[in-house]
Amino acid sequence: MTSTITSLTKPASGEDYRSPSRQRQVGFLLAFAGLVLAGVTLVANIVAAGSNDPQSAAETLAWSFGLTTTAFGTIKLGIAVILVGILVRLSLRIVSVKTALPELKPEGDGGARLGAISTDFGPATVSNHVPDPLPIHRMARTMWAPMIAMGYMAVIAGLVVSFVWSGNVGTETGATAQAWTQGLQFLGEGMLLAGISFLLGSILGSLREGGGKVQKSVGLNVETLDMPNTAKGFIALMALGLMISVGQFIGYVFVAATVDTAQSFASWLAWLGPLREVGLGLLLAGIVLALVTIGNVLGFQFSMLRRIITTGH
Amino acid sequence: MTTTSEFTYATTSTNPGYNPPQKMGRKLWAPMLTMALMAWPVGLVLSWIRAAEIASTAPDAELIARFGQLVPAFMFIGFLGVFSAISFAIARILGAFRNGGGQVQEAAGTQVETLEMPATAKLFMLSMAMGMMAILVAVVLHFVVATNVTTWTAADIASWSEVLEGVRRFGTALYLFGIAFGLGTIITVLRFQSARIRQLPGEAAA
Repeated sequence: MTSTITSLTKPASGEDYRSPSRQRQVGFLLAFAGLVLAGVTLVANIVAAGSNDPQSAAETLAWSFGLTTTAFGTIKLGIAVILVGILVRLSLRIVSVKTALPELKPEGDGGARLGAISTDFGPATVSNHVPDPLPIHRMARTMWAPMIAMGYMAVIAGLVVSFVWSGNVGTETGATAQAWTQGLQFLGEGMLLAGISFLLGSILGSLREGGGKVQKSVGLNVETLDMPNTAKGFIALMALGLMISVGQFIGYVFVAATVDTAQSFASWLAWLGPLREVGLGLLLAGIVLALVTIGNVLGFQFSMLRRIITTGH
Repeated sequence: MTTTSEFTYATTSTNPGYNPPQKMGRKLWAPMLTMALMAWPVGLVLSWIRAAEIASTAPDAELIARFGQLVPAFMFIGFLGVFSAISFAIARILGAFRNGGGQVQEAAGTQVETLEMPATAKLFMLSMAMGMMAILVAVVLHFVVATNVTTWTAADIASWSEVLEGVRRFGTALYLFGIAFGLGTIITVLRFQSARIRQLPGEAAA
């Protein structure tokens, strides 16, 4: 199972570094499909707002909620597919750099001395071997696919339940379906964002491993950036966001199972809604820090490449 | 500017460095993230106050209606911030590739070939700007509705809430759509650079 997941992020046998990316095309298509679905729900909400029949408006808003969250989930699925494409391209780029660098590198010694060093991009460590993946990288490589699969399934399950909600507005069954729709779909969204976070973690792992392989391939000691604070913040925010996403789901299940007055139901939903949004928000904030870390690592690696080409070490 | 079947790129003798959107991305990701992290707690606290009021024995309808507008307004100030921060962080990555690629070619003593901004990158920026405008308009109108809860009818407030909910969500979808195209642009850059670095040894020797 793990090897199947890993193979998705590696180039196909004999894949040319010049060939267009299939993942990019599929990702764009999914993103476009999601945007169209979101457009449909925008029209649905405008129609509901102009309706003179409150019952009909409430029914429309119920399925519109389910479809909007499905639209977001579909675009996020597209983003995940594109990130897989980036991982594949990073592998091909490592091969290209390893092919070109020996001819560009002038004669030089083995490079920096072993141990801790300071760089413009933060503290780094010099070793004489390609660094092993960190535990978070190993976890990311294993977990991204299950998270995305389970997340999208939860979103779709929530969409189905939203039709039950729409067909039973104003009844106890409708209220129960409303709580299940919101809880399930935002758990799914949280898992999708966690899957995207794991893919970004895999990209960071790929950059770390690839940087080491490139330096080793030209006989140099291996300089690797230590885990920056942005990466630590990324992990903390992701964990907190995922816990809140699970917590809000438990909250909605509790509401569906136990709350029996309309007043109490409205009170619970009044704060569970913003809570679920905070959960997703923290996951997104973690993604910002992951992207910033990727930018820093790239800056470090380009600076190292330039130095190797200029000085030979 | 040179156009091949695969890429359109500019050739210069020196590293062109970052382009304006990338410079903006490098400066703005942190303030945008900070804005998001400040707005969400406000929205969450307001939602707790509103929930307590709904559950009370004598609910204040005016407060419930007003906070019903303010809670999504603050939550979506947060989302506007975090989605902008993600977009700027992607622009920053694209800048790292552009600037770093230029540095490496300069170091190799060759002409510096830099990919022209692909259509996907333009769509990324356009979609981000449209998403930002949609959410911003919805947030401003939530504040307008919040200030008019005593003068507007309940039906008017409900209608506005439904429309604004749709606009907020569509703005979110536009942001996510743009992010997908920003990330797709990274794939294009990786393809270009994978091909370009293989050309360098031949050009450097010449």
